[in-house]
Amino acid sequence: MGGYIIKRLISAIPVLLGITIIVFLIMSLIPGDPATAILGSYATPENVAKINRDLGLDKPMVQRYFIWLFNMVQGDFGRSYSLNRPVIDEVLERFTATLVLAGTSFVLCSILGILAGVVSAARQYGWADKAITFTVLIGISVPSFFLGMMMILLFAVNLKWLPVSGMYAIYGGGDLWDLAKHLVMPALALSAVATGVIARLARSAMLEVLRLDYIRTARAKGLPERRVIMGHALRAAMVSIIPVLGIQAGFVLSGSVYIEIVFQWPGAGRMLVDAILSRDLLLVQGGVVFIAACYVLFNILVDVAQSLLDPRIKT
Amino acid sequence: MHFLTLLFRNQLAALGAVVLGAILVAVLLTPVLPLQDPNATATPDRFLSPFAEGHLLGTDHLGRDLLSRLLHGTLLSLGVGVAAALIAGIIGSAIGIVAGYVGGRTDNIIMRGVDMLMAFPYILLALAIVAALGPGLLNALIAVAAVNIPFFARNIRGVTVGLAGREFIDAARLSGMSHTRIILTELLPNVLPVIIIAMSTTVGWMILETAGLSFLGLGSQPPQADLGSMLGEARSALITYPHVSVIPGLMIFLIVMSVNLLGDGLRDALDPRLRSGALSRPRAITLVEREDEVPAATDDLLAIQDLQTQFHVGDRIYRAVGGVSLAVRPGECLGLIGESGSGKSVTALSVMGLVSSPPGVITGGAVRFQGTDLIGARYEALRRMRGDRVAYIFQDPLSTLHPLYRVGDQLAEAIRSHHKVGHKEARERAVQLFEDVRIPNAKSRIDNYPHEMSGGMRQRVGIAMALANDPDVIIADEPTTALDVTVQAQILSLLNDLRRDRGLAILFITHDFGVVAQLCDRIAVMYAGRIVEEGPTTAVLERPAHPYTKRLIACVPELGGGRRELAAITGLPPVVNDLPPGCAFAPRCDKVRADCKHGEIALAGPGARAVRCLYPEADLQKGEETTA
Amino acid sequence: MTFSDWTRRGLLGAGALALGALSLPLSATAQTPPNVLIVGQIAEPKSLDPAAVTAVNDFRILVNMYEGLTRYKSGTLEPEPALATEWDISEDGTEYTFHLREGVTFHDGTPFDAEAVKFNFDRMLKEDHPYHDTGPFPLSFFFGAVEGTEAVDDMTVKFTLNAPYAPFLSNLAYPTGLMVSPEAIKTHGKEVGRNPVGTGPFKFVEWKSNERVVVDRFDSYWGDTAKAEAVVFRPITDANTRVAEMLAGGIDLMVEVPPTSLIQFAGDQYALHEQAGPHVWFLILNAKEGPFADKTLRQAANYAINKEAIVNDVLEGTATVAAGPTPPAFAWAYNEDLDPYPYDPEKAKALIAEAGAEGAELTFYVTEGGSGMLDPVPMGTAIQADLEAVGFDVAIETYEWNTFLGEVNPGLEGKADMAEMAWMTNDPDTLPYLGLRSDAWPDKGGFNSGYYSNPKVDELLKAARTATDQDERAKLYREMQQIVHDEAPWVFVANWKQNAVTNDRVENFDLQPSFFLHLKDVVKN
Repeated sequence: MGGYIIKRLISAIPVLLGITIIVFLIMSLIPGDPATAILGSYATPENVAKINRDLGLDKPMVQRYFIWLFNMVQGDFGRSYSLNRPVIDEVLERFTATLVLAGTSFVLCSILGILAGVVSAARQYGWADKAITFTVLIGISVPSFFLGMMMILLFAVNLKWLPVSGMYAIYGGGDLWDLAKHLVMPALALSAVATGVIARLARSAMLEVLRLDYIRTARAKGLPERRVIMGHALRAAMVSIIPVLGIQAGFVLSGSVYIEIVFQWPGAGRMLVDAILSRDLLLVQGGVVFIAACYVLFNILVDVAQSLLDPRIKT
Repeated sequence: MHFLTLLFRNQLAALGAVVLGAILVAVLLTPVLPLQDPNATATPDRFLSPFAEGHLLGTDHLGRDLLSRLLHGTLLSLGVGVAAALIAGIIGSAIGIVAGYVGGRTDNIIMRGVDMLMAFPYILLALAIVAALGPGLLNALIAVAAVNIPFFARNIRGVTVGLAGREFIDAARLSGMSHTRIILTELLPNVLPVIIIAMSTTVGWMILETAGLSFLGLGSQPPQADLGSMLGEARSALITYPHVSVIPGLMIFLIVMSVNLLGDGLRDALDPRLRSGALSRPRAITLVEREDEVPAATDDLLAIQDLQTQFHVGDRIYRAVGGVSLAVRPGECLGLIGESGSGKSVTALSVMGLVSSPPGVITGGAVRFQGTDLIGARYEALRRMRGDRVAYIFQDPLSTLHPLYRVGDQLAEAIRSHHKVGHKEARERAVQLFEDVRIPNAKSRIDNYPHEMSGGMRQRVGIAMALANDPDVIIADEPTTALDVTVQAQILSLLNDLRRDRGLAILFITHDFGVVAQLCDRIAVMYAGRIVEEGPTTAVLERPAHPYTKRLIACVPELGGGRRELAAITGLPPVVNDLPPGCAFAPRCDKVRADCKHGEIALAGPGARAVRCLYPEADLQKGEETTA
Repeated sequence: MTFSDWTRRGLLGAGALALGALSLPLSATAQTPPNVLIVGQIAEPKSLDPAAVTAVNDFRILVNMYEGLTRYKSGTLEPEPALATEWDISEDGTEYTFHLREGVTFHDGTPFDAEAVKFNFDRMLKEDHPYHDTGPFPLSFFFGAVEGTEAVDDMTVKFTLNAPYAPFLSNLAYPTGLMVSPEAIKTHGKEVGRNPVGTGPFKFVEWKSNERVVVDRFDSYWGDTAKAEAVVFRPITDANTRVAEMLAGGIDLMVEVPPTSLIQFAGDQYALHEQAGPHVWFLILNAKEGPFADKTLRQAANYAINKEAIVNDVLEGTATVAAGPTPPAFAWAYNEDLDPYPYDPEKAKALIAEAGAEGAELTFYVTEGGSGMLDPVPMGTAIQADLEAVGFDVAIETYEWNTFLGEVNPGLEGKADMAEMAWMTNDPDTLPYLGLRSDAWPDKGGFNSGYYSNPKVDELLKAARTATDQDERAKLYREMQQIVHDEAPWVFVANWKQNAVTNDRVENFDLQPSFFLHLKDVVKN
């Protein structure tokens, strides 16, 4: 297992290198430049040239790429000029918030999605199945930012049950309960789509498994139905659910952009959108590489989980 | 037409089709409907509520007619969604198929590239593409399509890899077909359903994504209306004038929902397994719809009385078991024999309500264990007896053992679901059972997974599992069919020993007379869901009375019999949803006479023997006298 | 127990739990504490180093922590003494000598003196200054005329300019001229933007990325200390969310209320504040080529667009119709005699017919957002509809703000006939000087993207810039406005009235024409 993980980690290196090239190229190809972004209406060619010089953007592209890459390998992600601070500080601070939100949503959508799928499959064509199918469809058919805004209006403005936005109360609070209250709506809004996708997948995976011979064996042994469904069937269905969880994790992470904007969550998604719009090259590049590395790492974890679950996979 | 019937059998899919159809009709009629100019502004009339005069759905922030914009916008959004899904689907699938088919280094390089794109947060990728290409719905379409290509590629590649290793592809290769032709004529048709389903779900997703880009300020060019930008533009007035955003929001919901429902329906209709209804979830217990009176109790250990089990698929009814009666006593082994499809396995599974339902339904008769009717029993009562009093051994131990649990755990679980014992104790008992069924190194074997064992060992695990709770009856459904001859002999002798040592009653199901002869006291021959002959093993083997039995026996190669001609039975067993009157075997019988094809032929005979034939091969009366 | 029992029980349990959780007294909308003012900002600040920032959003925080040598007199855009108590200007207008206020200390305890002033300007303007690398300083050209800064004595500082430059005093009051503690710059280097130290009524406490910037009352302030104990600036980017927070009581003061949400704050528990500022929203017309090379058609465009409808309907009255290139907020320089072009589509049609330009095709650059751009997409859409109505054929191209600037600033030649634009300035000189002179064509480093050229205007602007007498300057600007109005190089659309909403616990709040947010005297109950 250890060797397998190391092998996977090594094979992730070319992927990450490829990502550095893609993000660097994209940022170089986007029209507009950081100096214009900084200067706004005052971007005269003279001022632009001066700022480009200050930022080291007057060097050739290839040279800039390698400077960036070598600095990054040594842990120096450079400085965000739109935020006037080291990229790594900002990324770490903002990414923690994103992880809290996306992590919660991911756990939420995994549990809710799988549970809904299981119940739906176990009660195929029953009222629970139809209700779940329908709810799930609502979840995947409503834009998350719209859902988020509706939730704010209902639960925060009208009912005043939950705070409107932010991660912690501005004054007082700061404890876990405070965080939980702030997390409820954004996490639900963010997980809606993924919950739907996972539920649909879990339902069909369960149906696929439930007709297999070993489920009949389990029943013939006299196992309680609960154990048949939640044990034997679900475990086998997880083999096809887990890879999708890995993909959904990517969607949740990406989708957090909208939710972070609507709920003013101090996360990294929002930061990256702003960074792209303000042409903050180093922040975009550093942030994307960081997120991509996390995603790749998470997918290795998914594969490890998969191989732990399924002894037939050779590691 | 058949396809459509299938599609609409699913009510939800029909709902989706109706909603989508209504939307499409409205959209296609848009040019001829008396609508206002979708771009005509009238700022003093902004934010009119729905049902305002002249504006059925009200107006937006510039006083433009919402109904008109909605219909024009829907047309555009659907177009964009379909186009983006097509682009992403075609390019992504092409990449996926090539990678999956070619394999090796090419596959590796392509998939690394796909990994890269997938690790790149897709919204940022789309954002960057739109920023790089410039503004416009077309560029948004390209961006949304581009970010979806990797998902198609990965998905389709997985399916292709699974297919590329299959026999029909090898066959195509050997027949000298070119790679392009194999991909187009062999692979593509098989992958197509997956592609279509993925595309149908993507259409909705694309519309949502363009709405998302519009939310980030990168949508279509005003004043053009598409659902995404309508929602995006209305968002700034969401709190004060929610209807302006709710209306396009609702339309997006309707489209995405109906597309998804329809996509599900398509999948069901395209998938051959789903088409047969096989993907229905089997219930924990077979459905029972008995109308006739339940036969009275007997004092047999296990008695199957006039059992009738049917499969209801669509409008068709398959009478898999058409009134079967059997009984076993303690220590007795009864062989149930017949070709595949004769209903013997269904009979066996009906005993404990294990026939998959849907489509299985038990429509008549009874199964009595020590006099108690199991067919009418409540689930919990039946569950308590399953594996405890009546246990099963199934045919293919690779598919009947759970691949993800250690065999010892599967065994321990069988014990623990009927007895309150600790993990440790259950494990010890499992080791003991492994030894009982003569698995060498029982202590270490117990931690194996099924795929780590040989077929014979796995079947021993299956037997050990059946024995776990010391049952009174074991129903063995072709337990040796998948094994080679030496292992088969070992298993049979094991079963035989167990029967003698423990006084087990065995209902042994097989298609092989050779096996029956070694183990069973009595046999019953099944054909087309009914018993056609029964009697003591030697009597039946020596003097079969039914032509079918005789022909079956003739099929068995005799050890040392040299190159005797195996007399295969010509023709196929009848389909049980359309049985002919009279003898079901008549169409294949070479001794058939006119009256064989009329009326009900009874199972009759003296003493232990009986046959369902008007003109039996042997005189049973005489036979009984000699053997008695 | 069968599975169905089990799921049913599970669902019931989950439902009960959810109901239970919801019925708990969550008290989510805890009252914000008294004496702490919570301000809803439109975005996260870029930096709290005044030399490094350009956005009004950042200025709103900065002016509470820092002060400059001058400041704008309350309710006007005229400079008055701040950290400098008085100043002398040499006859030729090239030497400014400032006498500094006694007894002023920075929040870190270091004294404010002439050396500190020199340090700040040298850091920004001299490339060989040891702390010049703490930049970049994007707006340093505001002081481009400064040749040298000299500490005459402890409390006297002298600026030498390379030429007379009338807006200098006003620029000193602009955030770019705010004074940062030299010690803080030496200690924190580039990080001074995250560790701001000034002399203002509030001192910095903490900045949590995208959550809040907290400032406390500075008790050793040289003047009257602030009324509130602390101010929290919360960035809430999404306008709907900002409105929702205001409605739910999560913030006490919100700036830039979206026009369509104003109606939400009509109740007694809210107060709406409005203040016209030095803002003008206009369309740059390409005077070099295409239809708008013809003055008649430029005027036609001005007549064709229903500006009343835009400011009253699209912007819900949050702006007034602009008459010329100079916003009325520069009261002393504004030409009261100018009337906006009336909405007269018939006249526009007549002018178009006169020029024979019926059906002329126009490309119109519209931005998705941007500083001071208000609601650029709906406004652009309304404008497009108006122009179509008089017979132009207008195609909109929208760009996200930075791409937009990248397209517009280098000039519209060969690309477009018109583009949206908005400016907020601190002096009547800035916009026309950078945007209307012949020498400000894009290839010469200015922002005259429409290539308007009139020697008389060039002359007037040059004279106004070097004149030191305000009345003299005012006369020159008024003449310039009249010419520009008639020649219509732009379509003058709107002057924004900045707005803000406070709840009933906030007293003494006023908006300033500078669009800054001075919170020293604001009381929070």
